[in-house]
Amino acid sequence: MGNKQTIFTQEQLDAYQDCTFFTRKEILRLFHRYRDLAPQLVPLDYSDKPAVTLPYELIGSMPELKDNPFRQRIAEVFSEHGDGNMTLDDFLDMFSVLSEMAPRDLKAYYAFKIYDFNNDDYICKSDLEKTVNKLTRNELTPEEVSLVCEKVIYEADVDNDGKLSLADFQHMIVRAPDFLSTFHIRI
Amino acid sequence: MSYHYNETFENPDYHFSETLEIDRRGSSQRNPFSYQTPHDSSQSDYYGERRGREQNYPVAIPMASLGPGSDCSQDLPSTSPYGNFTGNLSFEPEPELTYTPHSTSHMLDYPYTHGISSGSEDSFIRRRNRRPPDDIFMTSSSMLETDPMCREEEDLIGSLASMSTNERIKAIQKMPETMRKKREIRNKVLKEITKKSRHRGAQCTQGTWGVSFGRFGNTLSEYFHQLRPWHKTLKIIGAEFGTSVLSYFVFLKWLLNLNIFSFLINFGFITIPQFLAAEPNNLSFTGLELLTGAGYFQQTVLYYGFYTNATISKVENGPSYNMQLAYIFTVGIYFVICFLILLFSMARFFSRNFVKLTKAFSVNASKLLCTWDFNITNEKAVKLQQKNLLTQIKEGLTEVNKEVLNFSVKERVGRIATHLLAWVVSLATAVASCAGVYFLSINNLELFMKGYSNDLQRQTAMLVLPVIVSLLNTLIPFFFSWLGYLEKFQTPGQHIYVTIIRNIILKISIVGILCYYWLNIVATSESQCWETLVGQDIYRLALVDFIFCLLGSFFGEFLRRIIGTTVCMNLGLPEFDIGRNVLDLIYAQTLTWIGILFSPLLPGIQMIAFLIVLFVKKVSLMRNCQPPRKVWRTAQMTTSFIFLLFCPSFLGVLSVIGVTVWRLKPSEECGPFRGLPSMYAAVDQWIQILESYTVSKWVVWIYHNLISSELFFFIISTVVLIVTYLYLEIIQARKTMTKLLQNQIINAGKDKKFLLQKLRREQRAKRSSSALGGRGQQRSSSSYHPSMQPAQEVPGYSERAFDRSQNTSYHEHPFSVEISSSSDFPPGGEPSPSRAVALALRARAAALGEDSDGSGGFQP
Repeated sequence: MGNKQTIFTQEQLDAYQDCTFFTRKEILRLFHRYRDLAPQLVPLDYSDKPAVTLPYELIGSMPELKDNPFRQRIAEVFSEHGDGNMTLDDFLDMFSVLSEMAPRDLKAYYAFKIYDFNNDDYICKSDLEKTVNKLTRNELTPEEVSLVCEKVIYEADVDNDGKLSLADFQHMIVRAPDFLSTFHIRI
Repeated sequence: MSYHYNETFENPDYHFSETLEIDRRGSSQRNPFSYQTPHDSSQSDYYGERRGREQNYPVAIPMASLGPGSDCSQDLPSTSPYGNFTGNLSFEPEPELTYTPHSTSHMLDYPYTHGISSGSEDSFIRRRNRRPPDDIFMTSSSMLETDPMCREEEDLIGSLASMSTNERIKAIQKMPETMRKKREIRNKVLKEITKKSRHRGAQCTQGTWGVSFGRFGNTLSEYFHQLRPWHKTLKIIGAEFGTSVLSYFVFLKWLLNLNIFSFLINFGFITIPQFLAAEPNNLSFTGLELLTGAGYFQQTVLYYGFYTNATISKVENGPSYNMQLAYIFTVGIYFVICFLILLFSMARFFSRNFVKLTKAFSVNASKLLCTWDFNITNEKAVKLQQKNLLTQIKEGLTEVNKEVLNFSVKERVGRIATHLLAWVVSLATAVASCAGVYFLSINNLELFMKGYSNDLQRQTAMLVLPVIVSLLNTLIPFFFSWLGYLEKFQTPGQHIYVTIIRNIILKISIVGILCYYWLNIVATSESQCWETLVGQDIYRLALVDFIFCLLGSFFGEFLRRIIGTTVCMNLGLPEFDIGRNVLDLIYAQTLTWIGILFSPLLPGIQMIAFLIVLFVKKVSLMRNCQPPRKVWRTAQMTTSFIFLLFCPSFLGVLSVIGVTVWRLKPSEECGPFRGLPSMYAAVDQWIQILESYTVSKWVVWIYHNLISSELFFFIISTVVLIVTYLYLEIIQARKTMTKLLQNQIINAGKDKKFLLQKLRREQRAKRSSSALGGRGQQRSSSSYHPSMQPAQEVPGYSERAFDRSQNTSYHEHPFSVEISSSSDFPPGGEPSPSRAVALALRARAAALGEDSDGSGGFQP
């Protein structure tokens, strides 16, 4: 099997396969995508586990992400230290969650984190306002934004605590069948 | 006061909620912060902390402030309030007992525990939580510093190791953890497994077998992966136009695959044997036949009439191939397979996409949080999507006021009259076009029977009917959508659905009238081989429809773009009309299905046509179109398209095929069924032959007792009806249940809110008195907490509130800060009755499945 490539050891590949939703081929393809971002930084031999981290500026310039209004959040959520700088592991992790195979719960968990800008484990009104502004390019007046956010909270807040917890969010997503197909980046 | 709470403690209801807390204790006790940090609305992410991500976030503040002196350990008694509590009521908070929350990265805290969760990982979470509640008490507080994490992990690894390979991999894949963590766990699990298997040698081989088999499957799926030729195309389309347009292409691809499949079946089982017994074709080929399907093609495998009714055998006395049976069984089995495929995909879509039966769809919430299409990576498309969302939100804001607006009686009558009129007009159009098609086709047939002066005239006459039909199919939808604009629907969704319904009525009734013409007029005419005539008709229809589809994208999209960008600038770029295009596909597929019996290779032709359509549409889309402005609820649309493909189209085809096979007399001089009273008679004859062999008696028995017996079908349908009825009742009951449970969640929330307010008031009173009194009073005050606390934090924060109300720099328990400064709250009590409530509530909500009793009992 592993006679053609020398980037990873067989063991590493097996580990990646067990930990992500990708096949061998896809892992290698993702590795090359990762390497293409900075060929001079990323070595072609990963078998001795070099500690390479690509800065957010490079990650965010990927064509898959560069126009996404949430690209910074995505990178932050999936990077190990929350700063948007990514190792190969983080990179694989990110696309694994965003792949077609990832189950709804996993996607919902990460989507929740992406929308939870202040990392307090709740999507509160300020998070929602940020989301609205990102989605509409700041073209709504503050009053409109706050009205929309109130409506959202009113609709989705099951336990009446004035903000959306993960459970509320999941509850909402169950009823939004499009979510599975839209929270998905093809690689 | 404390007495009062003790009383509530006795309440069985409350008991229940507390046992729940204990069950969940596994997650809370490890890391007292896990529930408390969120109280700090400023910032702290306990997942983040635990997972080591986001460490340079302000999250770090609580951790840093957790130096000696922050007595988190006092939370510990409260975490297992059950049983041991009486002994611990006088538990003294000892400031020097520190608890360092080293990122207790136990998997169990996954959010899944609270949420709707599926799959195996939930089950092992539960298993892990079921530890005896006491053992945390047995461990000393110093042990707590290192132990819980290892324990958690050991447990997790143990449960993972006991799973099957596949399950384990799935569970690991599903963990919301960093790769490093996952890999660590995986390696530990593997080590554990090898350790175990050393004990039991036999299992080892089995395990490796399983692993290698799984690997083999992986490599296989990799190779299949490479065979997906459309991946890149689909990615580009999704990136530029979003999932809604993508869904059209996915549907087209699906139909293409279906046609490839049916072509392979027909070609393999009907055409190849026929080649062996083919007679020479002596008709000339001019080229125009490609368009008309007549002439040369009459004597080819393309049509029913060419197939032989003989049994084909190459070797004398060797195995023979009965063409009649091959023909009828291939077509029959193909339709059965299609039926199953359609049924299952429809059922899957329904169960996935129409979940929202209980409550009104939370439009705004999901619009904001679920609609962003992460597929889109094109800058222009992103901007457009943002603009669309903006207009939608604005529309939504204005709609709030509109909803209240009620129409007067006169207006309402006017509206209904408009709708009625529009329906009458559209139905009349459909009927008129049907009548036109019908008389035209009869006229055509007469001309055809009489014969023409020359060949060219004859061939042009043949093409009149399909061209007219395609023209109707193309032009009338424009009329319908214009009609829709006149009607002024309240929502765009209504508009889309009504237009689609009208279009489908038109298309299906045209196909229906054609079927009537074929089965009732052509089949009884004196033509030599009416099946071939029908086959030719369908061939022409399909071909002309295909040409019109190409023309449609030329005129509708290419010219429209030229006009939109040069002549009338305000028209702009055209949009890709998903609804119309999908209906065209459904129409084409219907024709193919009808034609299969009369022209077995039609799927092959349609396959090529779809392939070309796929490329033309893709190019036209890329060059000419802009992403649609309308919100297409993709998932629901796909469901309804599959439904449309199934319900009028496929079922209609089935009935047409049924009539042809059972009722109509096949032509005398051509085709595999010549000389038989009906096509089905072939099967009857076969059964009669089989009766003479003893080996195949069971086939005869099955045929007589199951397939051709009414009693059997009667029994089957009765059973199905009973089961359906039962399921309906169960659904009804579930709905009632859901409603009750929802009410319960709301009630429970109110209860908690009330209790918390009470507590806060109490707190304030105590604080003012404790300023005068001393520590002794505090201790006594703490005695009531365990009894009332629904969530673990309550005693903790109450005590801390006393001890630390002066210590303002203290962050790790923001909740207590909140409490201690509760006097600052506005009287409305709005500032979230805090997460303690929310958490308790969630725990309760998660358990509500089991607990269906009312929960209002413990209100003081």
